[in-house]
Amino acid sequence: MHETVKAEEAWIIDDTRAQISKFEKKRENLISILQLIQHRHGYLPPESMKHVAQHLGMAVSEIFGVATFYNQFRFHPPGRNPINVCLGTACHVRGGEVILENFERKLEIKAGQTTPDREFSIDRVACVGCCALAPVAVVGETVQGKMAPSKVEGILLGFQIEKEKERKRHESESN
Amino acid sequence: MNPNPTEAAARAFEVVRQEAARRRQAALDDPRPAIRVCTATCGIASGALETKAAFEEALVEFGVEARVFTSGCLGHCYAEPLVVIENPGFPPILYHQVTPGLARMLVRYFLLKGDPSFEHVLGAIEENDMIPTVMDFPRFNREKRVILEQCGTIDPEDVYDYVAAGGYAAFASALQRPPEDVLQEVIDSGLRGRGGAGFPTGRKWELARNAAGSDRIVICNADEGDPGAYMDRTVLESNPHLVLEGMAICAYAVGAGRGLVYVRAEYPLAVNMVARAVQQAREIGILGRDVLGSGFDLDMDIYQGSGAFVCGEESALIRSIEGRRGTPRLRPPYPAEKGYLGRPTVINNVKTLATIPAVVGRGAKWFRGIGTDNNPGTAVFSVVGDVVQAGLVEIPMGTTLRTLIFDVCGGIPNKKKFKAVQIGGPSGGCLPEEFLDLPIDFDSLTGAGAMMGSGGIVVMNEDACMVDIARYFLDFTQKESCGKCTFCRIGTHHLLEILDRLTRGEGREGDLETLDTLSRDVKNGSLCGLGQTAPNPVITSLRYFFDEYRAHLEEKRCPAGSCRALTAFYIDLDKCARGCDACVGSCPVEAIFTTASRKKSVDQDLCVKCGECVVHCPPEYDAILKVSPPHLAPRMERPPEADAAGSEE
Amino acid sequence: MNAMVNLRIDGKEIQAPEGRSLLQVCLENDIYVPNLCWLAEMDEPVASCRLCFVEIDGRDRPVSSCAVQAAQGLVVRTDTSEVRALQRSALQLLLSVHDLDCAHCPANKQCELQRIARFLGVALKPKRLEKTVKNLDFDEGHPVLSIDHDKCVLCGRCVWICRQSGYPILTMARRGIETYVSTYGLADDPETGCRGCLDCARACPVGAIRAQESG
Repeated sequence: MHETVKAEEAWIIDDTRAQISKFEKKRENLISILQLIQHRHGYLPPESMKHVAQHLGMAVSEIFGVATFYNQFRFHPPGRNPINVCLGTACHVRGGEVILENFERKLEIKAGQTTPDREFSIDRVACVGCCALAPVAVVGETVQGKMAPSKVEGILLGFQIEKEKERKRHESESN
Repeated sequence: MNPNPTEAAARAFEVVRQEAARRRQAALDDPRPAIRVCTATCGIASGALETKAAFEEALVEFGVEARVFTSGCLGHCYAEPLVVIENPGFPPILYHQVTPGLARMLVRYFLLKGDPSFEHVLGAIEENDMIPTVMDFPRFNREKRVILEQCGTIDPEDVYDYVAAGGYAAFASALQRPPEDVLQEVIDSGLRGRGGAGFPTGRKWELARNAAGSDRIVICNADEGDPGAYMDRTVLESNPHLVLEGMAICAYAVGAGRGLVYVRAEYPLAVNMVARAVQQAREIGILGRDVLGSGFDLDMDIYQGSGAFVCGEESALIRSIEGRRGTPRLRPPYPAEKGYLGRPTVINNVKTLATIPAVVGRGAKWFRGIGTDNNPGTAVFSVVGDVVQAGLVEIPMGTTLRTLIFDVCGGIPNKKKFKAVQIGGPSGGCLPEEFLDLPIDFDSLTGAGAMMGSGGIVVMNEDACMVDIARYFLDFTQKESCGKCTFCRIGTHHLLEILDRLTRGEGREGDLETLDTLSRDVKNGSLCGLGQTAPNPVITSLRYFFDEYRAHLEEKRCPAGSCRALTAFYIDLDKCARGCDACVGSCPVEAIFTTASRKKSVDQDLCVKCGECVVHCPPEYDAILKVSPPHLAPRMERPPEADAAGSEE
Repeated sequence: MNAMVNLRIDGKEIQAPEGRSLLQVCLENDIYVPNLCWLAEMDEPVASCRLCFVEIDGRDRPVSSCAVQAAQGLVVRTDTSEVRALQRSALQLLLSVHDLDCAHCPANKQCELQRIARFLGVALKPKRLEKTVKNLDFDEGHPVLSIDHDKCVLCGRCVWICRQSGYPILTMARRGIETYVSTYGLADDPETGCRGCLDCARACPVGAIRAQESG
C-alpha cells in the first residue's frame, strides 16, 4: 500500500503544479489553491504544499500553519467512502453520538481514521444543516437522514454487496 | 463610485422585467399540469430526488403530459418530501411526505382521474371551496414570510422566475435614487443584523460609506456555523438572487464595486446555487460594468470557507480571505472602517441582506410596522429538537416563545413535557419553562442571559440533561476556539474538563464554584465574541438548572437519565412478555440475553446505553426502563449456557 | 513629532506622546502592568495574552492597555480588584498548561511568568485547575532552534519577530488548545531556511525557544 500512496502522490504533485499555475501569486489565493488540491485529491500531500509555497513565495511553514488551522484540510488520504457523522445540536439531542459509535464499532476505527484497506474513513462534522432529519450522516455524497444503528448496518452492508458485485463482474470479465 | 440617478436603469430593467413577465405568462398559459418538488438539501435527504424520478417515470407510464420542476425549501422540513401539484380545475395543492409510491399514485389518481387523494394533502395554496388552505393552520398563518417569501415557490435556478415574482425591482429603483438616500432608508428602518449581535445595519453601512479608503467591498457572511441552524443555507439554496439583490443594493449605497459571498464548504448545493445565480445576474446585466446602464460597476465572487466556526466572526472571516489563519483581531478598528486588506468592508449575514430588498422596495415605514419598536421586522428560526413540526419558521419579532413552540410548531411530541429551549447555539443559553412568555427579540433574550444568535432554536423535553447540553456546547466551542487568547483557549478547556467529569459522575468539591467564576472570567476576558459567549450555556444552565448540577456532583445521578455513565437500562420482568424477542436483535452489542424464565434481561457489563431496545420493545409491554444512578438497576446473572444472543428456543 | 498629552495613571500626572500605547506609557513611567505578548516595536498590538488589563474612566469594563492609545485627559487605574481578578485568572490558566520545572529551566529567575506570579501574588502550582501538559513530543526538526512546547505560553512574540526579518519562518500551527509554534518543513529547506539570528530566543519571555546546545 505504501507504494500505491507514493505513486499517487507523484501524480498529485504533477497535477498540483499544473493547477496552481492558473492562480496569481497573491497570498489571498492560498486557501482557494489548497481547496482545489483537497477537492481533486482528498488531501494535501506534503510535497504539494511545498509547490504551493514556491508559487506564492511563502515559507512552507506558513502554508502548513494556515492549512492546519482549518477543519477542511486533511494531510492523509481519506477512505474511498468517507463517512461524516453530524454532531450538530439537533443530531446530538437525537443520539448522534450513538450513530458515530456504531460506525466506529463496525469499521473498527475511530473518528479521524481510515480503515487499513482505505475503503472507509470516519469524521465528525459540526452541522450539515438538515436538522429536522436528525441524526444525520453523510456517506460519500449522500445525506442519510433519520439514522439509526440498524441503518448503519444497512449502509455498510450495502457497500459490501456492491463490492461483491464488482468482484463478480471482474471475475466474469476476466474469464 | 457615485453614479447619478438615471433613467437608463429604469429602461434597462423594464426590458428584463418584460421578458420575465412573458416567460411567466407562457408558463401560466401552458395547459399542462405542473409538479413542483422541493429539492433543497433536506428535501434531498428525505428522498426528494427519488420522488421526482418517480413522477417522471409515472408520467411516461400513464401517458400523462405534465411539467416537473424543482424548487427550494418551503421550511416545513417535518413534512418532506413536499410537492405542489398544479392541476387545471383544481387549486394548487401541497402534498406532504411524498414517497415514490405516492408519486405514482398521484399521477394515476389525481392527474389522470381527478381524485386529489385528500389523505395526503397538507393544504391548498390558494383560497377555494374544495380543500382547506394551508393558511388555515397556525404553522402557516402565524408566519410572516419576508425573507422566506419566495422560498419553495420559485425556481432558484431561473433568474427570470425571480424577476417575474418582483425580484431585482428594488435594486433597479435604488439605482434611480442617490445612494445616500438608499442608505438613509436602511438607517430609518431600524434593521438590526440578523447574524447574532443585532448591530444596526444602517449604521454599519454608514461607517463604511464614510470611511477613508477606497475599493470598498461587501461580504455576505454565509459561514453559518451554529450547529442546528440552517436558515442561511436554505435562503441561499432556495432564493439566491434575493441575497445577491441585497448585496447589490448595499454595494450601491456604500459605494462598493465588489461583492463576495463567503459560504461554508459544508454547503455544496448552496455554493452551486449562488454560483449559478451570479452567472445569471451577469447575463441580465445586474452585475458587471455599467450595471443596467447606471454607470455603476459591480461584480461578485464566491469564496468557500474551510471549516472554522470562528470564521463566522467578522475579523476572522477577513483574515481567512486574506489567506491567513482565521484568528480575530481586537476591535477597533472595525471592518467597516478597515477590513479586508485594510479597505472599508461591510460584512452582513445572509438574512440581513435578504431583508434589504423588502426594506428598500417597500420602505422603512412598512418595515417598522412589523415587529417591535427596537426590533423591527421578522426573524427566521430553525426550530428543531423535540418538537412536532420542526423546520424553518419566519415570525415577527416580539412573538413569544410559547407561541412559536406550541402554536406554530405543534408542541412536544409523544406526550412528553417541555423542559428547556436552547436559543442562539453555542453563544446562547438554555431557558426553562418560566421564560416561555418571553417575546423573541434581541434585547429580551440578552436580558434573560441567552442570545438571539443566528436563530437556531432547539427544543428539549424532559429526557434532555442540561449538564450534558452545556458539555456538548463547550465541546464544540473548545474545538472551534482559534487558540489566540488565553481565556478562550485554556478557559474553555477547563470548563469542558469539569463538565465532562460531572457527566461521568467524577465531579469534585469546588467544581461548581470553579465553573461559575471561570465562566465569568472567560466571558469578560476573551478577545472576541466566540470566547465572550462560549460560557453562556454554562452560565444559563447553572442559573436555571442548578439542581441538576448538584445531582450530578453529589449523587452521581442524572435526573434526565441521559448521561450514559450515570444511567442504566434494565428490563422490568413484570412487563416483559415471555418468548418475545423484539429487543434482542436491536442491540448492537448483543447485550440482551434470555433468562431462565424465558424473559429478557440486559447484561449491564456489555450495555452501551444506546437506547435502541427501548425503541423496539412493543408499546403494549413498554418493559425497558432507565434508572440513575446505575447501581439501582436490578442485575441478573447471564446464564452460562446462553452464550449467544437471542432466545434458546 | 507627536504632541504630548496629559494623563492620570493611578493618581499620578503623566505626560506622554499622543497615540503611544498606554501599556508602554505605564511601563516607561515605572508602573508595571503584567504583559506577555507585547513588544514596543509592534505597530498593532496582538492582545492575546489577556494580562495587561487596566480600568479607564468612562469605560464600563477593564480593557487591554496595549490597545489603548494615550489621549488627553485619560484617567487610568491599574490596580483595581476587577483588573487583578482577571489578571490572576489569566495567569492561573497559563500556569495550568505550563510544564513547571524552574530548577532545570534555562529561563529560571529571568522568566516573565515568575515575575508576574510574584507581582500578582499567585502560586506557580495551580490549585483549583487541573494541570494539563500537552506532551507534544513530535520533533519537526530544526538546524538551530529547540522549542519546548510545554513551556511555550503562545505569546506569539517569536512568530512576530521572525516575520520582521522579511522571510517568516516560525508560524503558529493547528488551532485552539492544540496550537503550537511550528518550524514545519524547514529542516530540509537549507537555502530558504533559518539564518540563525536568534531574535526569537531573545524575545521569548519564558524558556520555550532557545538555540540548541552546541557541542
